[in-house]
Amino acid sequence: MHEPLLSDHAATPADLVRISLFAGMAAAIGSRSLEVAWEGGTAAALRSRLIAEHPTLAPLLARSAVAIGDAYVTDDAVVPPGADVAIIPPVSGG
Amino acid sequence: MTALGTDTEPQAAESLLVWEPIDAARLLAAVADDAAGANVLFTGTTRGVTDGVRTSRLAYEAHEPLARAQLARLRDEAIAHYALTACVVSHRLGEVAVGETSVAIATSAPHRRAAFAAAEWLMERIKSEVPIWKCEEAVDGVRTWIHPDSPPQGNTAANHANQDGAA
Repeated sequence: MHEPLLSDHAATPADLVRISLFAGMAAAIGSRSLEVAWEGGTAAALRSRLIAEHPTLAPLLARSAVAIGDAYVTDDAVVPPGADVAIIPPVSGG
Repeated sequence: MTALGTDTEPQAAESLLVWEPIDAARLLAAVADDAAGANVLFTGTTRGVTDGVRTSRLAYEAHEPLARAQLARLRDEAIAHYALTACVVSHRLGEVAVGETSVAIATSAPHRRAAFAAAEWLMERIKSEVPIWKCEEAVDGVRTWIHPDSPPQGNTAANHANQDGAA
């Protein structure tokens, strides 16, 4: 599932992770993306970091999936520094 | 897909995500095949009233690379699982006026049951798994992003029935 994407994102400093937000989560903090300091760790650890830094995201974050690049990852997947992460809250297409 | 001269058209029949109005007839034409005896077209259109609240506008956004990948995967799964002759899917993004098509699925198969079942299955999966979100703007100007109570990868679209603005 999880793909290392470091080589595709040389523009992102290696000690950061860039996080894309959508829909109600972007509306909650008034931004479509965040950068957080990140030394590497699991997707679950990244959730905890995000909640600590942006408590208003907590309710939706608890119900969200995590994606790296164009693939969903599980909570035990490793998120490398520099990865392009997206938080995917409950979907409502159709 | 078909001999319709599609190269000159601005919107290919198979576009998974589009920002322009969906031409559902083109999707139906795209699945036509001599091997198919059944052709099903489903269109989801934006509703003007949900739970008694009048909606003035709807807008959709997506994680586009992930949504394209998921839509292509689901389409391919539908073709394989239901032994379809052909299948095309298109979901619209951006503002969609009430009454316009937000999503369209066309399936073809040798017999009707597979074509109907595949369209229904695909729609359920799209609504529960593909990273696309709907924003409803009521006539009083209040904008609400819709996030159903189930987790995004659950296959329990029935739980979302009260929060659907379309389809």
